[in-house]
Amino acid sequence: MNKILLYFILFLSSNVFADQDKTINLIVENCKSCHNLNKQVTKKIPDMNNLEKEEFIRLMTKYKNDKDNSVMNRISRVFTDNDILKIADKIYGKK
Amino acid sequence: MEKNRSGRRKFISNTITTLAFLFLANTFLLKRLNSKTRPKIVIVGLGIGGATCLQYLNKISNFVDIIVIEKQNVYQTGPLSNLVIGNILQRKDICFKINKKKYKNVKFIFENVKRIDVENKSVVFSKNLKVKFDFLILSPGISYKNDILKGYNVSDKKNIPHCWDGESNITQFKKRLRDLENNSKIIITSPDYPYRCPPAPYERATLIANYQRKLNKKVKILILDSKNSFTKQENYFREWQINFRDEIEWIPRSKGGKVIFYDQKKNLVKNSDGQIFKGDFIHIIPEQKAASIFFDSELLNDGKDWCEINPISFEINRFKDIYAVGDSIDAWAMPKSAFSANSQAKILAINLINKILEKDYIDPVFLNTCYSFSKEDRAFSISAWYRLNMTKDKIISLGSSESNVYANDNDRKLEAQHAIGWYETMVNDLFM
Ligand SMILES: Cc1cc2nc3c(=O)[nH]c(=O)nc-3n(C[C@H](O)[C@H](O)[C@H](O)COP(=O)(O)OP(=O)(O)OC[C@H]3O[C@@H](n4cnc5c(N)ncnc54)[C@H](O)[C@@H]3O)c2cc1C
Repeated sequence: MNKILLYFILFLSSNVFADQDKTINLIVENCKSCHNLNKQVTKKIPDMNNLEKEEFIRLMTKYKNDKDNSVMNRISRVFTDNDILKIADKIYGKK
Repeated sequence: MEKNRSGRRKFISNTITTLAFLFLANTFLLKRLNSKTRPKIVIVGLGIGGATCLQYLNKISNFVDIIVIEKQNVYQTGPLSNLVIGNILQRKDICFKINKKKYKNVKFIFENVKRIDVENKSVVFSKNLKVKFDFLILSPGISYKNDILKGYNVSDKKNIPHCWDGESNITQFKKRLRDLENNSKIIITSPDYPYRCPPAPYERATLIANYQRKLNKKVKILILDSKNSFTKQENYFREWQINFRDEIEWIPRSKGGKVIFYDQKKNLVKNSDGQIFKGDFIHIIPEQKAASIFFDSELLNDGKDWCEINPISFEINRFKDIYAVGDSIDAWAMPKSAFSANSQAKILAINLINKILEKDYIDPVFLNTCYSFSKEDRAFSISAWYRLNMTKDKIISLGSSESNVYANDNDRKLEAQHAIGWYETMVNDLFM
């Protein structure tokens, strides 16, 4: 395999966001660009306010693994499963 | 139902907690700070970058003085402005006045800033009035290069307005477009990188074609490009092939797309090979550089067109306590877009708060998603996450990806909805 490609895949598969809590906070701040996390301001983007944490994790994992090239697939495909759990913790709280 | 509500309550409380990690937990520190001095933060430019900084800094407005300076009373957004040109939206749909009630402790001044007096840490207005700052945030957007295209003067009112900022006369642009006769030829010149919103010239061409067709007019649109490729190119080609095969033609630089001369009276442009193109509607999108305030205040490094910053704090290189964000900065891999400006400004504000509280900076993470429309119910996008390189002196992309070129009608429709949804969320957060 092309060496550069291999490095690139390694780069992507090792946790791209360094898995730090503060980084997760910033990822969530970026989610808010489309999803207002306090109230529903648009009907054109799925509202995350009424989701349960488990449902959020299920949906994010589905977006990440689907190969449909939707905007959420493209945004979530850089996350590890652990990133998704941490994002969920951040948004919906630790159980 | 009950389950949902409890989920929602938890959700909201956790969102507040997220902010609390930055703000409430620091109340003690802030109070201490308050008792000594109240830092004065001045924000120049209340567009996307400035308004985002304001939104975040407002959370500590009990402890710092915030002054916002903007030259226009009403802000007209770049995003969705092509839908106004394409007669899908009205101008009022993209114009906003800041909701001052949301920002009770903030002082707003609607004046043009002439320059920054770096030595005296003050902002100078046209009448030589001054406002002092401890920390200054500049998000004034772009200005235009006047020396690239011979014969073209950006401020000449007889030109077709370029409509590349909120001050341009979009109504006049539309009137002149509406007045075109059947079989007219439209020429759009697309600038060289870097410029504000890379896909927007092609979105504009597409939505003009869509509009003219609705007016039952046949037009030919020629895009003369200073570049050999452009963002989301394959998606655009596909949309043109499906919907506007006869209307739109793209000429890259290598095939004579680079325009070097404009004659307004004769309605023509000339390319670098001396070839002449005549048009009934010549729309020049000018080459761009950082807003004039950077040049007038000598805030740029020699020969640079864009402001160089530290990618963690957004402090301008060589200028302590002066920060810049949005389209006016060189953001390495990040494109100049509202989404980028919004994402960058969040980091700037969070790390400025960290600085004021004498806490460590957080390493940034940025996101950009840029939507383009080809019709009212068809859109596609490009997105990427960004972070710092290993030496933490550059913003790098984690790899951008676009909508599927062969996306079906439903997917295009869904992206059109998402585009509007993103916009509604953003303007609601920032201005309403
Ligand atoms: C046709 C078009 C379509 C676009 N579509 C999209 C899109 O779909 N998605 C997207 O993400 N981005 C889009 N953009 C890009 C987007 O508009 C910009 O990237 C964004 O506005 C940048 O924010 P900013 O804060 O840097 O500048 P701006 O939003 O332009 O704000 C600058 C503000 O500073 C003020 N100002 C400037 N100088 C002074 C001064 N001297 N004194 C006082 N005030 C001053 C201005 O009046 C203005 O209000 C589009 C742009 C265009 C032109």
